[in-house]
Amino acid sequence: MSTYKDRYKSADNGLRFQDLVYQGNFKGMDPVPDGILGDKVLRQRAKSKVLEKVSKEDVLRDQFTVDELNDLNNYLAWNIWDVLVMRATEGVSGMIPRQEYEILAFMHEFYRWPEILEMTTNEVGAQGIVDIGASARREIGTKVNCVHDWCIGAVGFGMGRCGLLALEAIQPQDYVRESNIILKFMQRVLWGKRQDGYILNSQDRYRCKIHEKDILDKLIGQVEYFEPASDKHDTLVRFNAAAELLSFLDHYDCRLGLGDTGPYELPDGKIMIIRDLFTNEEVYDWSDVCDHENVPHCYTICLVIDPSKMGLDEIRVNDISTTFTRPKNYIEHIVGGAVLVREKWNTPMGEVYPLKISELDKRLEGIQQATFKLYTKFSRMSRRTLITNGMYVYYIDMILPHLRLAGTYEKACKDYEFWEIDQRVSNYYYDIVKRGFAQATVPQKIFSGEGYLPFPDNVSLTRSKYYWK
Amino acid sequence: MSYVAEGYNSFETKKTPSGIVRYLPDPKSVIALIQSGKLKEHILLVQGGTTTFLAPALSMGAIGVITMSGAPESHLGILSREFQMPCVMTAYLTGSESRYLTGANNDAHFAAIIKALDGKKVQLHCEDRETGRVAVLS
Repeated sequence: MSTYKDRYKSADNGLRFQDLVYQGNFKGMDPVPDGILGDKVLRQRAKSKVLEKVSKEDVLRDQFTVDELNDLNNYLAWNIWDVLVMRATEGVSGMIPRQEYEILAFMHEFYRWPEILEMTTNEVGAQGIVDIGASARREIGTKVNCVHDWCIGAVGFGMGRCGLLALEAIQPQDYVRESNIILKFMQRVLWGKRQDGYILNSQDRYRCKIHEKDILDKLIGQVEYFEPASDKHDTLVRFNAAAELLSFLDHYDCRLGLGDTGPYELPDGKIMIIRDLFTNEEVYDWSDVCDHENVPHCYTICLVIDPSKMGLDEIRVNDISTTFTRPKNYIEHIVGGAVLVREKWNTPMGEVYPLKISELDKRLEGIQQATFKLYTKFSRMSRRTLITNGMYVYYIDMILPHLRLAGTYEKACKDYEFWEIDQRVSNYYYDIVKRGFAQATVPQKIFSGEGYLPFPDNVSLTRSKYYWK
Repeated sequence: MSYVAEGYNSFETKKTPSGIVRYLPDPKSVIALIQSGKLKEHILLVQGGTTTFLAPALSMGAIGVITMSGAPESHLGILSREFQMPCVMTAYLTGSESRYLTGANNDAHFAAIIKALDGKKVQLHCEDRETGRVAVLS
């Protein structure tokens, strides 16, 4: 028996997916749990209405108040903890120095993105940014998705500011103006995508049901149904896993390669997750091995799950585009699926084509070969190269889809030297490996929530940073 | 059945893969194992819970993994579920008080687990919702 729909009743507090609790800036108050209950607590503690459903007028307004900035800071800090605290136990990669490249990217983003996001907003207008978010409602295989949109605020603002505060490079009253630019950009994209007044999936009990009905109907029409333990099931599952793995690898072991939306309830009570797997990002030079194996930009996989047979108690499509369920193993309850191909990031939707499940094994071979070649390539790279490349994956890719759609990517490269590394961040490279800064200090600040210091109440909203010491 | 190690269960499964534990310290050892053609004879023991390190092994059909850090929410946890490959994460020895601590120096902890498991024939038991277990067969 499935109880997952109970999670959508307003009085329901959801399940706890972990024993840990969050403290953050709420010292002296009860700690905050994960999930639906955590969202409720954060909203109760907010000083402004920015965490409730907001109007288009609110979103188009250029300036947050200090209370709104601080509420967003607190909420994003909890949300980061909610989706990533358990992942943070994973330790060193043995392959890619992810903690090192992550912290460099966080700080680089906080320094460099405001200027580029402001230029983009000036080019297309606030409504244009909302429209970029809305484009995701009619597309599959688009990187304008939960994880990218969330990263603008959670990573570029939240973790970037947190890392620089931890490094004592900035103080809480610094860069208010720039923080506003980043968070406004995030809010506009996410609001445009969801169009229900919320910006994050956690505000909507971990649902991301963004696709328009006619798009969904077309996808549902492509689904092939099968028995759970059948050859077709195994073929689809194997393909999904291998493509997901390559998408992680092409994006340097990060979740930018993956984008889930849903759960969409089907007329017969089953649910569908739509998963974009970005297996070949042309902006990276190392993706040449994917080209050689004819791996497309994106495979979109529709997974139909039987919640009754699974006894599904809760499903979360979280804000980093990843699906988690209780019980955990939804894979063996997949009863139908479809696979579609978007060859390039800008392939028109009319040219996206479906594959039969019987065609997948041939495609799987290319994915496996690309995976092995990419791995071999990475294994020969120096630590410095791996960190630099990983830093670029975060810093470039998190806003790349929005710049592409705004038509400002080339301008950012040419006039704003998007691919240059700021000298301050280049110097931080030597600092982050000292005294466990990347391995221990920053993760502790980020995942305890202690590092997301609030802006002072009386700070000027136009304040930038005017001196260094 | 007595279990020599246990940890987070990546996902619930009735699969009980068995094989000789092979500790993989670096990417070269991963590539060498794949090229040996004996990948499916081994339960893979790795330090981290990240995906990339084991990428080709997962892609080529590894049968089971034990990690010494990470959780089901880690990338390797997610991918092991997608591959339906049993995975016991942040494993610790049941006969020891030593536990993995995030951000700390865990070298001695890792060394003890490697010494206890590497080269042993084991079976993974991952039916429980939360806990995955490792039994020594010989």
